[in-house]
Order: sequence, then C-alpha cells, then structure tokens
Amino acid sequence: MSFENLFHAYWWLMFPIFGMFIALIGMFQAEGRSRKVMDLIKSYVDQGKEPPPELLKMARDPSDYDMSFSAPKPRNSNAWSFVVFLALAAGFSVGYWFVQGEDYAFAFAIVAVTMGVMALGALLLLILGRK
Amino acid sequence: MTEELFRDFWWLIFPVFGMVMALIGLVQDGASRDRILDNARRELERNR
Repeated sequence: MSFENLFHAYWWLMFPIFGMFIALIGMFQAEGRSRKVMDLIKSYVDQGKEPPPELLKMARDPSDYDMSFSAPKPRNSNAWSFVVFLALAAGFSVGYWFVQGEDYAFAFAIVAVTMGVMALGALLLLILGRK
Repeated sequence: MTEELFRDFWWLIFPVFGMVMALIGLVQDGASRDRILDNARRELERNR
C-alpha cells in the first residue's frame, strides 16, 4: 500500500492520536507540577511564611491542559458542555441531512444522536446542579 | 500524486493549524507555570 493510499484510508486517525498525545502530555505535566507546587507551599509553611498568591492560585486552579478527573471544574463547565455538544449535534444533523442518500449516512445519524443525548445530559446537570 | 493529495485534503490545513496552536499553547502554559514555580523557589531561597 502506497503512502497516498494509506493516507486516503486512515487520515482521520491523526485526530484521536493527537488527542491522546495531548492528554498524556497534559497528564504527566500536571502531575509533576502539582507535586512541585505542594512541596513549595509546604516549604513556605514550614518556614512560617505566607506562600505567594500566584502559587496558591496554581494549586487551586488546574491548567487548561490538565486531564485529571479529580481537577476541580471551572464554573459554567456544564453550560459550556451543553453548548459544545449541542453544536456538535447540530453540525452532524446538518451533515446527515446532506448525505441522506449515501451508504455512510447512518454514521452521521449515530454521532448526531449521541451528541444530542450528551447535550441533554449536560443541560440536566446544569439545571439540577443549580438547586 | 501530490496535487491529487492536496486537492482531496487541502481542508486539513485548518484542523492541523488548530492542533499546532494547541501544542504551542500547551508548551507556553507549561513554561509560564514553571516560571511562577522558579520565582517562588528563588524567593524562598532568598529569604531563608
């Protein structure tokens, strides 16, 4: 199989592989950095000093690239999830509408429905979480 | 061959650009956090 044929067949793989790569790097960086932050804060406290506010902020707020499930979520996280999933559901629905006659149209429908359910879930969490 | 490949996949320029920006953001975010840590460590050493 030539490179051109391989690329034609598997070009889409670059997106999940890139996502996995970023997630791995973000995970390792976050873990190492949070350990250093805690050690530094501990050293400040051991010396009876107030840790700098930037250090405390770093301990409190995760990086945008922190993929850890235990990292505290920013405010409006569920609202953003709802918007993103709704956009994805709308996009794939439009895509399904355009390719209805094709053999692969079902793939668009599956993704549109899945994203729609995720959007609904995010909306429910947003509404119920406010109580 | 290259022309056909480009004709079929020119649109990939946009998501690939997004991926490059994400990588640059990751590196820059890491560098700025490391700078904060280094400053805090230096401050701690200086006032020991």
